Amino acid sequence: MVGEPISETEALERLRRSDDPSQQYYGAWWLGRNRSRHPEAVPLLIEALRLRRPRDPGAGVEENAVARNAARALGKLAPAAKAAIAELLAALEDPDDGLREASARALGELRASAAVEPLCRRLASGPQQAGASQTDSPRLNEPCEAMLEALGEIGSAQATVLAIIEPFVQHERPLIRSAAARALLQLTGDPRWGDLLVELLGHQQLQVRRAALMDLGAAGWRPALEPIAATLAENSLKLIALRGLVENGQGEPNTDAVLASMDALL
Amino acid sequence: MSQHLIEAVKQAGSAQGLLLATLALAQEATADAAPTLVEVLGFNNPGAAVAAVDGLIAIGEPAVGVLLELDPRNYGARAWAVRALAGIGDRRGLPVLIDALAHDVGPSVRRAAAKGLGQLHLDDLSESEQLPLREQCLDALVGACRDGEWVVRYAVAVGLEALALPLAAPNPQRQRASLALGGLAANPGDEVPVVQLRANLAVQRLS
Repeated sequence: MVGEPISETEALERLRRSDDPSQQYYGAWWLGRNRSRHPEAVPLLIEALRLRRPRDPGAGVEENAVARNAARALGKLAPAAKAAIAELLAALEDPDDGLREASARALGELRASAAVEPLCRRLASGPQQAGASQTDSPRLNEPCEAMLEALGEIGSAQATVLAIIEPFVQHERPLIRSAAARALLQLTGDPRWGDLLVELLGHQQLQVRRAALMDLGAAGWRPALEPIAATLAENSLKLIALRGLVENGQGEPNTDAVLASMDALL
Repeated sequence: MSQHLIEAVKQAGSAQGLLLATLALAQEATADAAPTLVEVLGFNNPGAAVAAVDGLIAIGEPAVGVLLELDPRNYGARAWAVRALAGIGDRRGLPVLIDALAHDVGPSVRRAAAKGLGQLHLDDLSESEQLPLREQCLDALVGACRDGEWVVRYAVAVGLEALALPLAAPNPQRQRASLALGGLAANPGDEVPVVQLRANLAVQRLS
């Protein structure tokens, strides 16, 4: 393994230093990156998430950055971080859309069914409002991509949830369309959402093709095997997508066929 | 003669132009194209580098010399060269592949090296000459079973299978590869499912 500059003990120690956000920021990141199983990791990350507040800009770490990293790390520690769900739900109501984004992803990774209602509530105004750009930035009013993906991960497929997700497959941004199709494919298995993602594999922007690869992998959509192998993108990403087909998918093409395609991409 | 195609690569004025010129030169795959294709590996243009690697693999053995002459400090080009050497399978590339699998910081480079170590061309050698070279490949692959990246361990499984399949069943090297694959297939708790599945498939094919 290349470069492991600090130990778990050191990372926990840094996370305790609530006087120094840049130390906490790194400590939180480390615990998530290394999937720490230390019993103190989750309680300390919850504490860091709870202490969200305007940070001193002079500290070199922007406002709420520690809380965001703590939320991300808690998602990576799923399912051991179930105790963090209540605090993540609270962070989902924070004015900082970056923190809402990190919290939504973590709640998805934790398969937190309690998050379905707030996620749906925030997306209910649809692409024209929740999905509109903020007046002073290109960011959307709600972090739609993360929220849609979380709904797909959590897996509640009631008609009311599907009805809230569906309008986003018409969103003007292809990355949002991709996230919505991914969630719908995970929730319903309906081939038309798989077809939509396969179509995005041919998009002119590399960033969109990459997202569609990840989304097909997350949904484990095996009919996309050939189009994935033929996509103009890095083999590393195609391999991740095909791993998803193996691990999250079923049926035809069978597992051996997917493995054979992976072998050819090494 | 590839001279006009070589000139086109050297004169390319844009990223897209370089890509197209490299594709044309790579398609030709004649030995005199090798130095220019190796130059392209250092141009920081991933699309063109992929095309150049394909071309170098198609050229094969005559491209090995110029690939091995690359300056080790030119990291970007070296990483692509590892992929080309892995694809060509010439044994002169063995030290580079072993070093890359053990030390390269890029998982995609280690991944290519692992696959390459399983498909070195040794057929023209006597069995007693093949044995120590294969042992070096095995040492490197077995050592990389503990690589931190799943995709590298996946490639190690593929490499071990490819190395062992042509060997007769009682061959100790085949048994050593099977043993390492069994470890990947059964790695308790920590191994990702796709690596386990692939290693298991290799174990079945070798049994």
